[in-house]
Amino acid sequence: MTANDTSRTIQLSLRDIRKSFPARSGPVPVLDGLDFDIHERDFVSIIGPSGCGKTTVFNVIAGLLEPDSGSMTFRGEPVAGLRGRVGYMMQKDLLFPWRTVLGNVMLGLEMKGVEPKQALDTAREYLSTFGLSGFENAYPKTLSGGMRQRAALIRTLITDPDILLLDEPFSALDYQTRLYLEGVLLDAVETFNKTVVLVTHDIDEAVALSKRVVVLGNRPTRVKAVHDIVLADRSPIGARSDPAFSDYFHTLCGELDIQTRRKVA
Amino acid sequence: MSSHALDQPKVAPVRRGPGPMARAIDTTLGRGLIQIAAVAIVLACWQAAVDAGWLTEFLVGAPLGIWRMFHAQLASGDLAIDTWTTLVEAILGFVIGTVAGSAIGLGLWYSTFVARVVEPFIVAINSVPKIALAPIVILWFGTGLVSKVALAVSLTALVALIAAYGAARDADPDLQALLASMGATKNRIFRSVIVPSTLPAIIGLFRINIGFALVGAVVGEFISSQRGLGHMIYTASSLYDLDSVWVGLFVLMAVGFVLYHLIDLVERRILPWRQVSTAGQVQV
Repeated sequence: MTANDTSRTIQLSLRDIRKSFPARSGPVPVLDGLDFDIHERDFVSIIGPSGCGKTTVFNVIAGLLEPDSGSMTFRGEPVAGLRGRVGYMMQKDLLFPWRTVLGNVMLGLEMKGVEPKQALDTAREYLSTFGLSGFENAYPKTLSGGMRQRAALIRTLITDPDILLLDEPFSALDYQTRLYLEGVLLDAVETFNKTVVLVTHDIDEAVALSKRVVVLGNRPTRVKAVHDIVLADRSPIGARSDPAFSDYFHTLCGELDIQTRRKVA
Repeated sequence: MSSHALDQPKVAPVRRGPGPMARAIDTTLGRGLIQIAAVAIVLACWQAAVDAGWLTEFLVGAPLGIWRMFHAQLASGDLAIDTWTTLVEAILGFVIGTVAGSAIGLGLWYSTFVARVVEPFIVAINSVPKIALAPIVILWFGTGLVSKVALAVSLTALVALIAAYGAARDADPDLQALLASMGATKNRIFRSVIVPSTLPAIIGLFRINIGFALVGAVVGEFISSQRGLGHMIYTASSLYDLDSVWVGLFVLMAVGFVLYHLIDLVERRILPWRQVSTAGQVQV
């Protein structure tokens, strides 16, 4: 495939990243020499057992945490972290309650020092693209969970970040809203040519959305396996009904040591 | 199953909220009338008890006497001067104490190290009953305006500092991380997260500190002063002029009441996002 040539170019690589946190009984190692690559326009999911340090990986990439050792390279250049170049989205929508939807969406542009008039125009344009026109002056607490998360997604995309870091962004939503927002996300990623790194505990979501899945082991964690996911239909519902879907699903479950069936003696 | 059967509710719906009678009374006008009636009944009973000789007017005063005294003091201009004096002392003390205290409290957010070093000192100073400082404050700052303001500041500043620091420390770390990931500086995080998220606590603090500032002004006047409502109450009570004492108390009450509602107005302006839903209260 011709598209593969550009999409196989390495955008970000992590090499031997180690991080431990202090505790009463001494330092607790969390990341134990993490190695993986993220390609240009990749959609990588990171899955692993709960508490294995998925969020720590994120904070290291975002430049919010400094690793104890190891290196990161972004488009060939060594970097300490991608502060100011990532779009970060979490399970909590993290909308500022004292800002209106418009004010929240414009936050990233303000941080970048974009001229207010232009920021306002861009924000309005994005809101209308994502179907939030008419809610510009609403405060977040008057919106539904799905709308709030959509506003958070716009805030993440609007600054045109190099990489989107999504930390279980949809796990607090009901299933319908979630499928809908997965679709919105996929479209947006396609339209804006974004690289996405998604942390999830949801294998189903990881398989349905990703081009590749990175499986982490128990803490202290290292990469256990990397899978390429090839599905004909990439829409949230289409992917889940693809015949190959359940194979990937079972493989990943196996790697996470999840018992999907009761053992018969 | 026929659609008719589905239409029948299985159980009577639970009635929520007040009945029709309560709803008619539960309006601004209805509540106001009840409040006025309550005050009128208390005052009428008081007057009647004094007139019947069950209460000694000499020791408790009487509403009609208080009313006459209020008019006399209003006419002479004394009441206006005393009220103004106390008001200026309390407001100056409130503003200086609350602004300085909150600013230092918020500023401590910048350095956990400094905050930890000063914490025991703040707790120690705060545990001294500030009223006990009044005699020294009068010695240091004289018997005029400054000593009353200083006393009001001493009562409000530490409360503000502790509340503001607590609120700043409790500000959502995820919001701060989000801004940091966007490349925000510490100053920017302070302005965009810490200040707005502590505002509700700081406005709440205004309500408490208005009361404390009035306490500071009045106690200062008790100890040594030429004017003010505290001065008026103190001198009148030493002359057994109970009607004047009540005039002073009622005016103080009115001053506190008005200031409290001014803060409500300020809150509505500064925190529009907090006014969004008051209708969501659960009716049981």
